[in-house]
Amino acid sequence: MTRYLVLAGQTLVAVALAPALAGFIRWLKARLQGRRGAPPWQPYFDVRKLFGKEAVVSHTASWIFKATPFLVFGTTVVVASLVPVVVAQVSPFVVGDLFAAVYLLLLGTFFLALAGLDTGSPFGGMGASREMTVVALTEPTVALSIVALALNAGSTSFSQIVAHTLTQPSAALGPGHLLAFAALFIVTLAETGRLPVDNPSTHLELTMIHEAMVLEYSGPYLALIEWGAALKLLVFLTLAANLFMPWGIALSLAPMALLIGLGSVIAKLGVLAAAIAVLETRVAKLRLFRVPELLSVSFVLALLAVMSTFLAR
Amino acid sequence: MTLETLETLETMMDAMFSQLVMLGGSGMLLTGLIVLWRKHVPAYISAYRWQAWLLAAVTATVGYFGGDWRLYVVAGVLVALKGIAIPALLRAMQLRFGKQPQITPYVNTETSLLVAGLLVLFAYVLARPWVAVTDLPTREGLPLAMALLFVSLFIIVSRRKAITQVIGFLMLENAIALLAAVGTYGVPLLVEVGVFLDALMGFLVMQIFAYQIHDTFDTIDVEQLTRLRH
Repeated sequence: MTRYLVLAGQTLVAVALAPALAGFIRWLKARLQGRRGAPPWQPYFDVRKLFGKEAVVSHTASWIFKATPFLVFGTTVVVASLVPVVVAQVSPFVVGDLFAAVYLLLLGTFFLALAGLDTGSPFGGMGASREMTVVALTEPTVALSIVALALNAGSTSFSQIVAHTLTQPSAALGPGHLLAFAALFIVTLAETGRLPVDNPSTHLELTMIHEAMVLEYSGPYLALIEWGAALKLLVFLTLAANLFMPWGIALSLAPMALLIGLGSVIAKLGVLAAAIAVLETRVAKLRLFRVPELLSVSFVLALLAVMSTFLAR
Repeated sequence: MTLETLETLETMMDAMFSQLVMLGGSGMLLTGLIVLWRKHVPAYISAYRWQAWLLAAVTATVGYFGGDWRLYVVAGVLVALKGIAIPALLRAMQLRFGKQPQITPYVNTETSLLVAGLLVLFAYVLARPWVAVTDLPTREGLPLAMALLFVSLFIIVSRRKAITQVIGFLMLENAIALLAAVGTYGVPLLVEVGVFLDALMGFLVMQIFAYQIHDTFDTIDVEQLTRLRH
């Protein structure tokens, strides 16, 4: 019973923290660029304001358009509940391994692309086509880079991977781990629409991918989509943080261990968010035709990670 | 200390040794991949510099754990020659050529990266029997060194700029040095010095060739060499 309460609590923490993470990156980026920037908790105000507004829906839109925000938010929340955020269950936990997480996230993206096409606006279609191009290249990399860890741990369950890395700390410095981490980080940038691939802060028709798909959304729908996107970023960063550097994560349900787990995950997310903010300040957006090159780099890195863990044994 | 604790200490040292060598080897392989990915010569030069420093670090690590002081000398020469001197010469070459129009390689970037992935796989398969028969702590670096060998050969054949081909050759030379360091804990110092001189001479000759190509054809695209100039 306590276990389920703790798992539910961990999911709630993830959902509640997500806007703050997005806001923190935005704030830090503004400071790095010499602007004052909105405070890190600004996304909470945005979400509250959007929930209070009326949603405007195009006449040509079908039910897919209205169902998509719930699907996107729902699948991301489910994935957040599968990922070890604060506590890793050491007991074999059958529901939800890495494949479930990867394909649930893909389901949300798929519906988002459908919704982009649904309204018939040219921007939506353009964004959907670009997003599908990017996703087709990132999805195998996500699976492959986590498989590199799963091969080491002998299980595709996230908790088992975390537990294995904790028992073998020297493996965390091995090339398999580092290459897989680099691959997952590049893919995180692509999947969550961050800078070298997509620019999260502009509405310029030539460059946008994610923003183009959600251009038609307004009011509560937009709030759900924005929140879902922030949560997706949090899920990816948590995966990167807790699978590759699991130290501090709670292995039992003792209150003290949970507190340490919460503190450590916030600290790790803070470091990764700062890395993203610095990166977004330093690099320019890649031309769309060069994005596949970056993604094939990350694919090759993931492939090398799998090879060095699998073939070198 | 009992015999048992000594033994565990030894296995721990061995594990750390092989981890460090693998880390350095994969870092060198990554710098090879950077050349396939990036499109500008300064990025290639800094990739080469990183690779040389990593090679020196691997050599010094092998020297430390293998207890051979001569490898420290080799590492020092590596830093001086390949880590500082050759990158400086490459930079001078780049400055003399000035800004070159972007030349597309024979094989496009995505394909070359995937080919590099396959070459690494091939190297692992090829090195498998070798890794199986030796019990050196550095054996896991062997496939990485062979992979770098193949990737640098691929750089040489798939790029059209003379300067990129020169860098491919220098990386090939690094790969052989890595192979020597992890496969046999380094070759005798005299041989090593001879190899350094050969590499430097080879590089200087290639530099003169590249200058000649540039002066005659106003480009360093080696494709131009296949046709007669009127």
